[in-house]
Amino acid sequence: MKKMITILLSFGLVLGLTSCTKKEVSNEKVLNLAVSAKIKGMDPIYANDLYSSNEVARVYEGLLEYHYLKRPYTLVPNLAEALPTVSDDGMTYTFKIKQGVKFHDDKAFPNAKGRELTAEDFVYSIKRLADPKLQALGWWLLDGKIKGLNEWRDKYGDQPKVDYTEEVEGLKAIDRYTLQFTLAKPFPQFLYALAMPFTFAVAKEVVEHYGSEFINHPVGTGPFVLPEFKQTNKIVYTKNPTFRKKTFPTEASEEFKSMLTDAGKQLPLVDKVIVNILVESQPRWLNFQKGKIDYIGIPKDNFDSAVIPGKGITDDLKAKGINLTVTPSLDVTYTAFNHDNKLFANEKLRQAMSAAFDPYTANKLFYNDTALPAQSVVPPGIAGHIDGYKNPFIGPNLELAKKLLAEAGFADGKGLPEITYDCPSSTISRQIGEFFKQQMAKIGVNIKVVQNPWPELQKKIKNRTVMLYGIAWGADYPDAENFLQLLYGPNKSPGANGSGYNNEEFNKLYKTAAVLQDSPERTALYEKMNRIAAEKVPWIFGVHRQSYVLFHSWVKNYINADFNAGQAQYLNVDITAKQEAIKKL
Amino acid sequence: MNIWVYVLRRLLYVVPILLGVCLIIFVLFNVVAGDPTHLLLGKHATAKQMAELRHELGLDRPWFFQYLDLVKSAFTFDFGRSWSTKQTISSMISEGAIPSLTLTIPGFVLTTVFSVSLSLLVAFYRGSFFDRFSVFICVGLMSISSLAYILFGQWFFAYYLGWFEISGYDSGFPNWVPYVQLPVLIWIILSIGPDLRFFRTIMLDEVYQDYVRTARSKGLGEKVILFKHVLKNAMIPIITYVVIQIPFLILGALLIESFFGIPGLGGITLNAINSSDFPVIRAMTVLSAVAYIIFSVITDVLYTIVDPRVRLK
Amino acid sequence: MENAQVVTANNIKEKNEQKSKSLWRHAFETLMKDKMAVMAIVIFIVYSIIALLTSVDIIAGDWAKEVGASYSPPSAENWFGTDIFGRSVVAKTLKGTQVAMSIGLFTASISAVIGIILGSIAGYYGGKVDEIIVWFYTTFSSIPGIMLLVAITFILGKGLVAVYLALGLTSWVSLCRLIRGEVIRHKDREYVHAATAIGGKDFRKLFKHILPNVLHIVIINFSLQFQVAIKSEVILSYLGLGVQGRPSWGTMIDDAKLELARGVWWQLAAATFAMFVIVLALNILGDALRDALDPKLKGK
Repeated sequence: MKKMITILLSFGLVLGLTSCTKKEVSNEKVLNLAVSAKIKGMDPIYANDLYSSNEVARVYEGLLEYHYLKRPYTLVPNLAEALPTVSDDGMTYTFKIKQGVKFHDDKAFPNAKGRELTAEDFVYSIKRLADPKLQALGWWLLDGKIKGLNEWRDKYGDQPKVDYTEEVEGLKAIDRYTLQFTLAKPFPQFLYALAMPFTFAVAKEVVEHYGSEFINHPVGTGPFVLPEFKQTNKIVYTKNPTFRKKTFPTEASEEFKSMLTDAGKQLPLVDKVIVNILVESQPRWLNFQKGKIDYIGIPKDNFDSAVIPGKGITDDLKAKGINLTVTPSLDVTYTAFNHDNKLFANEKLRQAMSAAFDPYTANKLFYNDTALPAQSVVPPGIAGHIDGYKNPFIGPNLELAKKLLAEAGFADGKGLPEITYDCPSSTISRQIGEFFKQQMAKIGVNIKVVQNPWPELQKKIKNRTVMLYGIAWGADYPDAENFLQLLYGPNKSPGANGSGYNNEEFNKLYKTAAVLQDSPERTALYEKMNRIAAEKVPWIFGVHRQSYVLFHSWVKNYINADFNAGQAQYLNVDITAKQEAIKKL
Repeated sequence: MNIWVYVLRRLLYVVPILLGVCLIIFVLFNVVAGDPTHLLLGKHATAKQMAELRHELGLDRPWFFQYLDLVKSAFTFDFGRSWSTKQTISSMISEGAIPSLTLTIPGFVLTTVFSVSLSLLVAFYRGSFFDRFSVFICVGLMSISSLAYILFGQWFFAYYLGWFEISGYDSGFPNWVPYVQLPVLIWIILSIGPDLRFFRTIMLDEVYQDYVRTARSKGLGEKVILFKHVLKNAMIPIITYVVIQIPFLILGALLIESFFGIPGLGGITLNAINSSDFPVIRAMTVLSAVAYIIFSVITDVLYTIVDPRVRLK
Repeated sequence: MENAQVVTANNIKEKNEQKSKSLWRHAFETLMKDKMAVMAIVIFIVYSIIALLTSVDIIAGDWAKEVGASYSPPSAENWFGTDIFGRSVVAKTLKGTQVAMSIGLFTASISAVIGIILGSIAGYYGGKVDEIIVWFYTTFSSIPGIMLLVAITFILGKGLVAVYLALGLTSWVSLCRLIRGEVIRHKDREYVHAATAIGGKDFRKLFKHILPNVLHIVIINFSLQFQVAIKSEVILSYLGLGVQGRPSWGTMIDDAKLELARGVWWQLAAATFAMFVIVLALNILGDALRDALDPKLKGK
């Protein structure tokens, strides 16, 4: 027994001591990031959430990307040599691909040397996205858009094996470096699709070599290398030694001119990227404050200790050299009605509930008064948003709400059943639900808040068993179409239109606008739709959020963006500044 | 009766238990899990895609075969793939087990040693203020929610005082050591209350046995009695109590792992619960049930070996 | 002859009743002598009264009212400050008592009912019935409680009733095991045989003769289950499976995971303190009850 105690005591001492002896001394430039959700693997065709697509984009690349330092968002070539030539009818896109681009070295290739990227790789990658056996999560992006691709997909749905060698009319490698797409119908957002991780280039050899484990063996052409993806809470990327010549941009919009100090330097600027997965917000925030994380979106409840309204960050943080960047996000939060429910066919009822809801207080409580109460569906910053427009049914306007409720036939809520409000299971969602309940109680509408795990909520929406549900939408690409499609009748669930709203006038306008290229004519249509969405109240609109991100003094070139998947390559770390600053934390 | 015959019989009894466990798991999770297609196919799925996927996953087969698959998985540990991460569950388990164990084994061992020694001390000073005080402290420690310990401990000891790492994990000894210190401490605080209380009862049970009276009348010192006789006899229930806890160590600690970023099975389970990832939840349940059954057999066998008074029935 | 038998049986029964009466009286006296136990009982009663009064809105009926700014710190008017919506944390904590006490009560009752029924049936009938029940609870207890909780709340949906059932359905095994053991011990006793001889029905025998003798186990177990259930509610809330639409200590502690790092400690403190007191009281009461009621430990 005594012996055992001695052994244990010494074990305890070891536990205590090793922590004191550990010191980090290194001149490597390391970027330490934190993400708040588990990564769902590293296969581009399954990267349908923000977190996974960010990780995928460190390793893989696409034909196009958004210019890092330009706003409004501008597409520039990445693996493509230049922007494509488009035929006069707007249906054929021809790309030249950069020569000499190499895949990462991997044992799937002969001699374990990464081979050169060719146009065939894109044909293969996009066919993979359409492969009926793979159930890709990004297929909706190109569904019905590329000539012959849907037919190819349908043909192999019932067959045991999918034949990738069969040519698809709209998807051709004309020669080693020339790629040609032919669309099945006009698709003005097509180029945006080519900047999304779903369409990034993978190598056939690697896919076939690893089979179902491909998801754990990312081999791309991108700036960082990850030899094997493991389900841990820490992902470590290293600089790609065979990365092609790609340099930091030399042009910038006015607000980013200061970042041109790195102009012309070879990318990536750091040697290593460490991604820490921290699901809980408390450790994320505490780690940032200790300098273990380079930048962080301010968790809602830490806002007051970080930012003084109207003045920027607190002196405490300023003294530590921490900086703040504020950017509007292209998104909208909303409470959707299930329009399959007869109750909500009553337009007055919807308007009454909208008028009873107070987005201003919600903004204060949940977004620290930094968001913009939404008047309709399209957020500011993209064509289709109407500056200065005021939705007549935006609350808080209890008088109007009560009047409308009476007109709807439910004076003071009499005759209304209890209405359920479904939301995701996070703590904030629960609080938002409680707030909504409180607001509706003011006009006598009785709400019951129900929390659900995320997939459960999606299932309920799909099965139409919800009445109201609280949710948000973030843009996939900077085009109002991406928001308006949420209300387009034919997109009804299981499509993106979860509320099942169906308005003929709106549908007609959408159909016309969807095939138009960006033009004043299209913007006018978008605005018209936006107005209908406001007045008919298919949803109760919440807010357009702004994201507040704090970053440490040693992090250079940080910009917060909605579409920043490939960002890590542009970021820089000042090691000497870091050593100094970390002492103050 | 021969001990081996007993072991064999005990093992045979495992079969109906295992079948029962699988049945309960099957009924619970197949009733609720229903349709994974929403989760797997995202929001743009069509009815045809869903049907194909259901076929691929074997969800359109008769329930009896699906049940047999589950039973088979309890032996082969082949649980298929996770719905949300698309990883093979067996690899998730083998990768997550070690981080979990680096947290739970030190916590478990330290707690056990600490509470056994303390319970001896308490038994020695039974009825005194020290006895009542330590019992009160234990009960007090048990009366606070684990979530409160975690939140406060992380904020105060790791961040405010800077004594520990806030969160994170590195694989390989001794890299993980600094990261598990605070979690281990919290583990100990969480489990010392019930342990000490239990061990104290055991010790007191022994202290009032006849043999102790005899020993005392023979003039043996209280210390000798306590360490030589009481501890020896109390070892049997202590070992039983300790061994049966071991299977729970594998599952890790749900909340602690999630807050401290330890990539163990507890965090994986929590993530699976949050994302309705039923194959993973099911696999974790089967895994821990199997571990529990195995260890209860071991406990029973140990018990008969160390305590010949137990009838081999 | 017949008469004599009746007399004997009655005598034994009476004796037995006397014995058990004196056991209870003795237990009560022991309990009253233990100051800690008395205090624990007082605390339990106070909490129960608060719970009752909040459920008829006599106190904390206005918990949903805004009494100050969002997250105002403790002050003279609001002893424990306010939450995100500017609601009084004290009022929420009081209202939370109702949820906690009802969860404790219903959960412990459900698990007691299941435990008693299955345990006494298994112990009394023995044989195949016993084997099946033992198999069932061994199987059941092999599955980790948290997984069962999750599965059951998924099936039952959300809400207070689901929480009662989920916690109750997962916590009966230990009681069932104890009752079964005790019933087996008691059923061979002479008074039960005597009752059989005068033609007592199985049910009557179980309920009139055996159960009173195992009641102390039920009571001890009840007080322990009560507090375990209160603590489990926090974990359920953390998982988003807890009580919805009204304050509970679990949701208050869950809120703290976002609030603490900004220095809002009062909600965590209030809920943890409220919970600490009642759980501690129940633990002490459970210990005291065990000491007073368990004849095996008597005199120690």
